[in-house]
Amino acid sequence: MNGRERIFAVIQNKELDCLPLMPITMMFAADRIGAKYGDYASDCRILAEAQIRTAEEYDFDYVSAISDPAREAADLGANIHYFDDQPPAINEANALLADKTRLAGLKPIDPSQGRRMSDRVQGVALLKERAGSDKLIEGWVEGPCAQGADLRGINRLMMDFMDDPNFVRDLFAFAIDLELKFARAQIEAGADLIGVGDAAASLVGPALYKEFVFPEEKRLVDGIHEMGGMVRLHICGKTKKHYEGMGKLGCETVDLDWMNPMDAAREVMGPDQALCGNIDPVEVVKNGTPEKVWNGLAECHRQTGPKYIVGAGCEIPRESPLENVRAITEYARSNQPVAMP
Amino acid sequence: MSEWNSLYDAILTGDDKTATAVTEEALEKGAEPLELVNQYMVPAMDEVGKRFEEEEYFIPEMLLSARAMERSLALIQPRLAASGAKPIGRVAIGTVKGDQHDIGKNLVRSMLQGGGFEVYDLGMDVPHEKFIEAIQEKDVNIVCLSTLLTTTMPSMKTIIDNIQQAGLRDRVKVMVGGAPITPEFADQIGADCYGDSAYSAVKLARNLISA
Repeated sequence: MNGRERIFAVIQNKELDCLPLMPITMMFAADRIGAKYGDYASDCRILAEAQIRTAEEYDFDYVSAISDPAREAADLGANIHYFDDQPPAINEANALLADKTRLAGLKPIDPSQGRRMSDRVQGVALLKERAGSDKLIEGWVEGPCAQGADLRGINRLMMDFMDDPNFVRDLFAFAIDLELKFARAQIEAGADLIGVGDAAASLVGPALYKEFVFPEEKRLVDGIHEMGGMVRLHICGKTKKHYEGMGKLGCETVDLDWMNPMDAAREVMGPDQALCGNIDPVEVVKNGTPEKVWNGLAECHRQTGPKYIVGAGCEIPRESPLENVRAITEYARSNQPVAMP
Repeated sequence: MSEWNSLYDAILTGDDKTATAVTEEALEKGAEPLELVNQYMVPAMDEVGKRFEEEEYFIPEMLLSARAMERSLALIQPRLAASGAKPIGRVAIGTVKGDQHDIGKNLVRSMLQGGGFEVYDLGMDVPHEKFIEAIQEKDVNIVCLSTLLTTTMPSMKTIIDNIQQAGLRDRVKVMVGGAPITPEFADQIGADCYGDSAYSAVKLARNLISA
């Protein structure tokens, strides 16, 4: 069974030979081939090379085009800080929609015409061409809250929920119109699954999530499904308060960050939801030992039961000891999934 | 606590218009500026922090309360300065070089202001030398360093080392925080304490000042 077959099997409730393995790597992968992260995020050939070599070295079941959340905002004209060896970052002080009246004049762009979005689409195509027979191919888009924050500035967006709720609705609708185009381009380029990152959603309470975020996340997930893609939801931060909504989105798999209980997610999201995670990337993977990694994953596995995908709560940090990353792989390859009841 | 309870309520509910209106009215009617801060604003922000800890409030609610508090405080501060009232302490705060995330730093700033500290916000992606300049020029007692990224964590050690090399280490306490930061990391780099939330930062800063 290869990695691609393994991930399809866990999602489709088929028999597995061992646990599927989907840890997120970005800076760690760039470092493995000696690339600067600025180059990784701007040149899909470097990203593809790093992803494929890292996935082969550690026997990961997938490769991903994820790099940073600023691609869409950059192509829309936002002011982005670029770094030599770090991810590009949004300049919040001069956010594209610091003046919110500009939203009315903003048009979703064609991903094939955008510089950084096109690079990701081409990256997906490269990954598909070079690794698509063995590895699952993951594209990436931002969720409504994350993209809204990237365009408006997160501090402003958080207050907009109360100050100007109609603007937030319009902003999120615009964001998802754009992300649906971006997802389609990546699926057409060969992505099997689209990762949806919506980190900023963890900052709002359940009432705001339900009213503003969930409806647009749902529209995005449903749209990707209609295009024939699968969805991996990844919300950094504390999300236990959103478990019910996250479970109702219908994503093929849901990632949980390290501070969120897997057992409660299983209870709330039900037995059919594949769950991925969620050892502490810093304390366990970067600062811990292989034994700590193994024990942490065993506890995640125990809490999750069936339909468990091995991963850390978030990105594997650069400078993580290689033996700790190997321990993640060894856990996945040495353990059988818990049988469905 | 009674006469200006509506100031407490307005800050707690994040209603900045009412908060500033009540503050203006209170000042016009001769209320003591320090009394408004200590009896209404500090307790309100304290309650905001508690509600955040208990997951009754989240980031939007905290930011709205912080805005209401900051706008009221802006009306009060000139009177406080004129009266010669001293802040509990002076703090320089910033997100370290290479990191563009500032929401956590902003909340800590607001909570410290609400807690009676004079705060110099150096912003985000702050060059190391700006912290040294703040110690020298603003005579701050506490330096607060924030980061969300694992890649910029080493900057915190560099800044502390720079403070040491500049001969200023015994003049300031250093508090660090941010998602990847741990108490062990704070110890390793020679920080004086680690704060895991904006609410705890106020308590820690008060302890550092009284130590």
